[in-house]
Amino acid sequence: MIFLRRQLPLLITMITGLLFAAQYYVPHPSSERLLTSATKWLQIIGGFALVLGVTSLFHQHAVKIRRQEAGWGYSVVLYAGMVATIAAGALAWGKESLDGTMTGFGWVYTFMMVPLQGTMFAILAFFIASAAYRSFRARSREAAVLLVAAVIVMMGRVPLGEYLIPVSGDLSQWILNVLNASVRRAILIGVSLGAIALSFKIIFGVERSYLGGSKE
Amino acid sequence: MATGLTLFIFSFLYRDNPLFKLAEHLYVGVSVGYTIVKTVDSVVVSLIYKPIVDQGEFTLLIPVAIGLLMLTRYVPKAAWMSRYAFAFIVGLGSGLAIPRTISSFILKQIEDTVRPVLSMAGSDGLTFSMNLLNPSSNLNAIIILIGVSSVLFYFFFSIEHSGPGKAVARTGIIFLMIAFGAAFGYTVMARMSLLIGRLTDLIEFSDASYGRPTLWLVILTVGALFALSRRSAASASSSD
Amino acid sequence: MSLSERMLKIDRRIIFLVIGLCTLLPLLYPVGLPIRISPEVRSIYDYVEALPERSVFLLSIDFDPASKPELHPQAIALLRHAFRKNLRVVAMTLWVSGTGMADQLLTQVAHEMGKENGKDYVFLGWSPGGPAVIINMGQDLYTAFPSDYGGKATKGLSVLEGVQSLKDVAYAISLGAGNPGVEAWYVYGKDKYKFELGGGCTGVMAPGLYPLLRSGQLNGLIGGLRGAAEYESLIEQKGRAVAGMDAQSATHFAIIVLVAICNLFYFSLRQQQGRRHT
Repeated sequence: MIFLRRQLPLLITMITGLLFAAQYYVPHPSSERLLTSATKWLQIIGGFALVLGVTSLFHQHAVKIRRQEAGWGYSVVLYAGMVATIAAGALAWGKESLDGTMTGFGWVYTFMMVPLQGTMFAILAFFIASAAYRSFRARSREAAVLLVAAVIVMMGRVPLGEYLIPVSGDLSQWILNVLNASVRRAILIGVSLGAIALSFKIIFGVERSYLGGSKE
Repeated sequence: MATGLTLFIFSFLYRDNPLFKLAEHLYVGVSVGYTIVKTVDSVVVSLIYKPIVDQGEFTLLIPVAIGLLMLTRYVPKAAWMSRYAFAFIVGLGSGLAIPRTISSFILKQIEDTVRPVLSMAGSDGLTFSMNLLNPSSNLNAIIILIGVSSVLFYFFFSIEHSGPGKAVARTGIIFLMIAFGAAFGYTVMARMSLLIGRLTDLIEFSDASYGRPTLWLVILTVGALFALSRRSAASASSSD
Repeated sequence: MSLSERMLKIDRRIIFLVIGLCTLLPLLYPVGLPIRISPEVRSIYDYVEALPERSVFLLSIDFDPASKPELHPQAIALLRHAFRKNLRVVAMTLWVSGTGMADQLLTQVAHEMGKENGKDYVFLGWSPGGPAVIINMGQDLYTAFPSDYGGKATKGLSVLEGVQSLKDVAYAISLGAGNPGVEAWYVYGKDKYKFELGGGCTGVMAPGLYPLLRSGQLNGLIGGLRGAAEYESLIEQKGRAVAGMDAQSATHFAIIVLVAICNLFYFSLRQQQGRRHT
């Protein structure tokens, strides 16, 4: 029983991992067919995974409503929004517009989801300005360098800056393409090495957290 | 409606208030509903139902089974079965990612850092292009090499940062600071753009042809906030 | 409290007000300063301009309404250019919440340029799986998307004639706001299937993509609203991006001034404290 519960999943991970890592290097047509099927399966499974993520949210707010914790009225709003959207979607066969005319579902998308999401992120603009004012001080030589680079780039990427100080445009281009690119490259290489190390650890069973914690 | 909701969210800037909470929860609910509808439409209808029924591709039942296994996570007794599904996905994902990441992000990137420097010693003797503004010039290639190696050195090597190591590490830090400065500048640019976009929409919808909704809703929102704050102030003073 | 201390602790709502005004006023009263074109945007423009008619152009609209202000103008400008060059446009998205928006913008531009669905363009829609979709498209487009967004079978559409997989795509551009985005298209797509790839992204992601640009893994990069404005100027159809540039200028300068002021007060405060200790 222990084998079924603990070892078998790890074995599955190792076999699939090694199989598909090797697949990349094998140009044979049957290997290509394997890849096609596998990715098609991933697409379908991916759909289930999304539903999984969503239902946990469902559950969390359902509990809140049932227990009538503080602010449960808002959870009702959340539910109402979700149910209404699903209903609208079902009525419209999941499409935002049928034959050129907007459906009720499309209305919900365009006039509720888009502006809500858009504005949530737009208010970040204000926060970054106040954060910059509060904390962007040249406390040390390194911080000063950061500050100067930021100012150059901010000026150079904006028509007014290029108009007033033409060299700021060229300078910011140089900073971006040469200095910034080199640092980002190093970070990319470093992070990728780390990610690959982690993937190997997962494949060989050293890293097991993805299986979900349990007593076994 | 869109304008109203937008203004509700903006009101958060003033204070954390019920209107904002309303908008926020509505947003989450609608997003989740949308995701569910789209998933059903794309996956169930197009990827599963049609191919199986129309073309008889029964092998697709295997991933469906795996997907269903994943959902057993919610049934405590059977939750252990979901591990197979996760194991499969994670193994598949890692296996696909490893060689591709090595090739794209490690090998190719290192190649591009080193090659321009090597190409300086060409068949017709040593040529050296000094143009700072041309990112592919040799001078810049050397700068890039210095940047990449010093930053990598700074992060990776556990040798103590002293002596020549210290100089390299300090170079790395300077490079890092410049890059972060550039990133900050760009982030500012991005955030401002988001705000600009939203305001453009608001302005568009405040046209008279729409019945001046922006104007009315601003008045309405401010009024509602005012009333709400009055109410909470009154209840605060009446409770002592 | 001294003046410096008070200024440093200023109520953040005043800063909000400053930013709000700097954004609103230029939008209402535009000035229209010239915009310099950067090489990374120009290379995308030149590549599309040089594509022969009826080449297959893949546009992956990998963002959601949160990034709409920056990437929507990019999408519109690119589509206008592609349709003007009579390219076959294959559009899709890897982000579920962007599907409706992508469909709407594609239909809008196609309608404006008089293009026909199925013949000149197709919207494949969304599919879960991120990188898996890219690989699948590289293996066989029709397995990844058996039907287009409207439910029509993709096999047999005249716009996809001769296209079996990503290898038959002449140019692909991914407009990405995160993951999966431009990087995923390179790692899982171009690396093996060898099509030319360009990228568009938000300002937050742009600096991180420069290594790919420098190594030629991407042939061009349109960064944020500024990039969109540059592209709009290149195709000579000015739209929202150019209109927003003045507000961008104003807000950037506001921030620079704010940071400068903050540092001024900070240094004067440090001096004061230094004097107090002696």
